Amino acid sequence: MNHTASTATRSSPCANGSAARRWLAPLAWLLLLTYACWGMPWLEPLFRLVEPDSRDVIYARADFFLLLGRHMLVVGVAALLAIGIGVAAAIAVTRPAGRDFLPMVSQLASMGQTFPPVAVLALAVPVLGFGTLPVIVALLLYGLLPIVRNTLAGLEGIDGGVAEAARGMGMTGGQRLLRVELPLAAPIILAGIRTSVTINIATAAIGSTVGASNLGDPIISGIVNGNIAYVLQGALLIGLLALSVDSLFARLQPASPQ
Amino acid sequence: MREGAGSNSVLVSLMLVLLVSWLGLDAVSVAANRIVPGEGIGLGGVAGWPGILLSVAPMLGVLWLAWRPSPGRLRVALLLVMAMLAALPVWLVVAAALTVDPALPQSRLSIGPAVWLALFMLLLSRIELRGRIRVPRWQGALLDLLPLLSLGLCLLTALEPLALRQEYLAREPAFIAAIGEHLLLVSVAVLVSLSLGVGLAMAMRRWPSAQRFGFTLLNFLQTIPSLALFGLLLAPLAWLSNRFEWIDALGVSGIGWAPALLALVAYSLLPMVRNTYVALEEVDPGVIDAARGMGMSRAQIFRQVRLPLGLPVLLEGIRITTVQAIGLTAVAALIGAGGLGRFIFQGLGQAAMDLVLLGALPILIMALLADALLGALTERLRPGGLR
Repeated sequence: MNHTASTATRSSPCANGSAARRWLAPLAWLLLLTYACWGMPWLEPLFRLVEPDSRDVIYARADFFLLLGRHMLVVGVAALLAIGIGVAAAIAVTRPAGRDFLPMVSQLASMGQTFPPVAVLALAVPVLGFGTLPVIVALLLYGLLPIVRNTLAGLEGIDGGVAEAARGMGMTGGQRLLRVELPLAAPIILAGIRTSVTINIATAAIGSTVGASNLGDPIISGIVNGNIAYVLQGALLIGLLALSVDSLFARLQPASPQ
Repeated sequence: MREGAGSNSVLVSLMLVLLVSWLGLDAVSVAANRIVPGEGIGLGGVAGWPGILLSVAPMLGVLWLAWRPSPGRLRVALLLVMAMLAALPVWLVVAAALTVDPALPQSRLSIGPAVWLALFMLLLSRIELRGRIRVPRWQGALLDLLPLLSLGLCLLTALEPLALRQEYLAREPAFIAAIGEHLLLVSVAVLVSLSLGVGLAMAMRRWPSAQRFGFTLLNFLQTIPSLALFGLLLAPLAWLSNRFEWIDALGVSGIGWAPALLALVAYSLLPMVRNTYVALEEVDPGVIDAARGMGMSRAQIFRQVRLPLGLPVLLEGIRITTVQAIGLTAVAALIGAGGLGRFIFQGLGQAAMDLVLLGALPILIMALLADALLGALTERLRPGGLR
């Protein structure tokens, strides 16, 4: 839910250290997530403590792996589309032919960040109906903004001298883009993708209120039925998923100065 | 931006999208009562040829003006765009009069996708035009006031069948209470996190070893999805209120405002601490040196140099926090914290889309207003030429 992580950097706990150690955090979180999905029934005595009076304390309406898979699918599809469209749009408006659109697109991208994700999700339903599709569309639309903004910031922030040198070497526009501009902008673009995915994992969970079945289901069902154990299971898994994905991004992202 | 007097391609494309969607999508939908699904009606179905010609004329006008733009022509285009924005509510009044049968008091009118898209495209055109031409501030404000006035007038005098308005009238006290709850939760969360955040940032400056740990912890909190954090807070708070009577007496329980406030503060801390830290840290050392050279004491330097220089960055933190908290409070409605999110989730549960709008639109407007007001305040307090 961090609106600014795109520009400011996060201090990642695995920024330095040997290669093996840098993979440790994402691997540990992923293992924990898998283990939690698989071994939740064995934690029954623990959940019995918070919910001593309920008949069932382990959410059993759907397999946790299935819910996790659906959650990742929705976020993944939305993220892939958002990355494709967002980066392409940002590239298009920074080329000479599309430069006219730059002021409007950049203002839209920064203004759109003000929109609460829940409101976007809620407004997608009247237009698109219930189910998984409106959630994907809402996630896609909302996820576009940080990606467009950061790609623009990355491409526009490149030192003019570098672009000049590339031109002087006889590179064509396409070569400059692929070999100079995009690699230089990559860390900032990646930060935008990270923000986008982090927000989307959270928003997708809320999406289970509009008929998209995912890890938000146990939470919503727990709240509706007054079963805190369900809520805890859903919250635990979503939290672990978010941390796994975030630490994966932290691993991919080169450490940049605070 | 391109050389020569080429057409304004942005405005041209916006107008083309507007034309196509205006002609092709449903303008309104009408339902006999709240339960039955509405029936979409296109532009032709509402007002026939006169309506089509009358509404398309200003769009074609802007299109023509944008084809061969000059500052004068773009000024006229801006006027036309604002007039069209002001005409949208009037259009709803006309549509209501033409399509809703007055003999059926239960029937209601919902705003169709064509109108929403037109609103969006016209707002984009406004952004584009205001970026291209210089308009005196009072003229710009006057132009912006026009659509708002028109909307207010139409809502007050006509538009009884508008479903959004009916949903509002059906729960007017609850709506006002919800806005109050929403604002209260947001402001308390922002104030608490402001005082905590400033304290934490100062502590981090004094003990740099705590800084890394502090930021890691706050990042960690920020990564946990809101629904999950609300859920995770449910259990310990419920346990605490069961265990200790005085906590229960305070009104703290697993659901309600307590977990919502805790989660809101937890999310607000990262932007607040980070911006306070930056505000305190990133004052040019030369300036501090100069102040010390003038014989200022530490306290004086803090009050007279660091604070005024850091204030805009601090305010930026407050802005981010406030906007974020407005959105998160909507989610908090799921755990019974009240606020405008209640209408969203109630509406989703009853498949009453206008009730969803009744919750979502004010949240959106609140977020935009908070962003604009705090942004303007930041600009105002920014010392000239220093940053």
